[in-house]
Amino acid sequence: MTAVGTGTEKATSPTAGDVKDPAYLKIRDLIYQTSGIYQSEEKLYLLASRCARRISALKLRTPAEYLQYLTSRRDDELRLLLNEITIGETYMFRSPAQLEALRNVILPQLITAKSALGFKRLRVWSAGCSTGEEPYTLAMFLLEESEKRLAGWTFDITATDLNDNSLATAKAGIYGEYALRSTSVLLREKYFKVHDENRLQVTDQLKSLIRFDRVNLNDDSKMLFLKGMDLIFCCNVLIYFDLASKRKVTQHFHSNLLPGGYLFLGHAESLYQVDDKLHLIHFPGTIGYWKPPIGHTDKGKP
Amino acid sequence: MNTLEGIRPKIKALEAMPTVPAIVMPLTAMLQLPPEQVKMEKVVELASYDSTIAAQCLRMANSPLFGRRNTETVRSAIMALGLKRIQAILLGCCLNNIVPPDKWAMDAVTFWRHSMGCALVCSKMAKMIGYPDPEKAYLAGLLHDLGILVNTLTCTEDFRKCIQQASEEHIALHRVEAGHLGFTHSQSGKILAEQWRFSPEVIEVIEFHHEDGVPPDKQPLVSLVHLGDLLCRLRDLGYGYYEAMGVDLAGDAAWATLVEHYPTLAQMDLARFTMDIDAVMDEIVATVDAVFKPRPAAAAR
Repeated sequence: MTAVGTGTEKATSPTAGDVKDPAYLKIRDLIYQTSGIYQSEEKLYLLASRCARRISALKLRTPAEYLQYLTSRRDDELRLLLNEITIGETYMFRSPAQLEALRNVILPQLITAKSALGFKRLRVWSAGCSTGEEPYTLAMFLLEESEKRLAGWTFDITATDLNDNSLATAKAGIYGEYALRSTSVLLREKYFKVHDENRLQVTDQLKSLIRFDRVNLNDDSKMLFLKGMDLIFCCNVLIYFDLASKRKVTQHFHSNLLPGGYLFLGHAESLYQVDDKLHLIHFPGTIGYWKPPIGHTDKGKP
Repeated sequence: MNTLEGIRPKIKALEAMPTVPAIVMPLTAMLQLPPEQVKMEKVVELASYDSTIAAQCLRMANSPLFGRRNTETVRSAIMALGLKRIQAILLGCCLNNIVPPDKWAMDAVTFWRHSMGCALVCSKMAKMIGYPDPEKAYLAGLLHDLGILVNTLTCTEDFRKCIQQASEEHIALHRVEAGHLGFTHSQSGKILAEQWRFSPEVIEVIEFHHEDGVPPDKQPLVSLVHLGDLLCRLRDLGYGYYEAMGVDLAGDAAWATLVEHYPTLAQMDLARFTMDIDAVMDEIVATVDAVFKPRPAAAAR
C-alpha cells in the first residue's frame, strides 16, 4: 500500500490516486451517519474532490488529518463539507417533459379533483432546490398557467435545501446566461430585471411565491411539517442517499403528498425497490410517481 | 361517410393493387411455418424477387440497429440475423412499398419508427420475461398497426383529418378514429390481416392491442404488444405528436395478464427499461431513416 502523508513529502491536494485512502471511507461513514448522504465506492472520487477543497481551504495535508478535524469540529465543518458535496449545477426549464406532463396531464387532473372540493390552491415543494432554478421555473410555469386554466387559483412553493450557500444564491435570485439558457426572451422580460451586465435578477413577484427554507430530508421532525403537497420535485438528491435513507425519505414524501399528488425525480432516477406505495406513472418523455387517491380502484388510470 | 362495412370492399380490392408486392402472401404463409420447415433457399428467392425490396432489406440488415454489419447478399444477411428476423424485415419492406409515396397520411418515417420501435421493445421485453418466442413478439410488434396502412389506403383524406385532430387535441389516434370514421385501425387492420392469412396470434394482436384492459382470454402476446405500443408512444416513438397521457403501466390490466403468465415481469425495473428504450432510440431513428426515408433515386442493387 502506498503511504499517504508521511509528513516529509510535500503536501499536494488529493487527486484521484488518493481515493483509496481509508480515511475517505471513514469520512463517508461519518457523513452518512449524520446526513444520510451515502457515496458508493464508485462515487468516492466525487467525495475526494469535495474534501480536497476543504482540505486546501483549511491548509491541511491529508484526508486523515481532515477526518480528525472533521470529527473534532463536527457540526460546523460537516455543514461546510455537505455544502461542497451537494453543489449541483442546474438551469431553468431543464426538464421540459416534466413541465409538459404538468401542463397537459397533471394540472387538468388536479383542477378537476380540487375544484370539486372547492379548493383552488396548489402546494408545490422543490425538495433539494439547490440554487433556486427549479422553484423559479415552477413559479414561472404556474404564473403562466394562472393566465389560462389556473385563473383564480393560488399557489405556494416551498423550496428547501440542505446547503446554506445554495439557499443564499437561490434567495438572491441572480442568474447568468448558463442558468437562463433555456428561458425564452418573453419569460426573461416578464419575470426578470437586469442586475448587471451579465446577469438578471428575478422579480419580487416571482420571489414572493416561494418560501425558502433549510431542510435536511433526513430530519424527521422537519419533514413532518411539510404536509399537504400536490407536487414534490426532488431532482438528483436521493441519488446520494443509501437505500435505508431513500426509503425513509420517500416514506415521508408519500405522507407529505395529498392523495392524487405526484413526486418527480431527476430524469435518470428511479424508486425501483425503494418504494412500492407510490405508483410509477409514464408520461411522454418522463416518469413520475403518483399517490393514488383513497379508495382508488381504476387500474392503469391516474 | 366511411363505415367498417363500407371499406370492406376497398380492403378486398387492395389485393389487386399493383403496389402490393407479389411476395406478400407467400411470405406470410412462410412466416407461420415451424422454423425447421423454412428453407433458406426459399427466403433468398422471395427476397430477390423484387430488387427494390431486396435493397431495402439489405439496408435494414446492415443498419446500426442490427449491428452495422456489411452483408452484401440476402444469404449473408440471413446468416447474420436469422431466417425469422429477415422474413419480418422483408414483410416490413413489402408493406412500405404498398403505400404510394404521395399517399401517406402519417408520414412513412414516423410510422416505421413506431412500428420498428414497438417490434424491438416487444422482443426485448419478451426476452426479459421469458416469453418463448421473441421473434414472434418482434413480428407482432412490427405489424400491430397494419390498420394504419389500411386506413391510409382506403380512406386517405378522412384518415388525414383523424391524425390532424388527434395531434391538435393531444389524444390517442384510435379514439379519434372511432368518433370520426366509425371504426379504428385495429378493426380495419384485422380485416386485411385475415385476408392475407396472418397467423391467428398476430391477427389477435392487431385487433386488440388498443383495448383498455386487454381481455384476459387473449394470448399474452396481445398484452405484450399493448404495453410495447404504449411504451413507444410514451418515449417519442409514437405517432409523431404529443399524446397527453399518464399511464400506470404496472396497474394496466395487460400487465396483470402478462404477470400471470410470466411472473418475472413483476420484478422488472420498469423505469430502467424505459430509459433503455431511449438508449436504442437513436439507432431506431437512424435505421428507419436509412431504409424508409424517401430517396430521390432508390439505388437498388
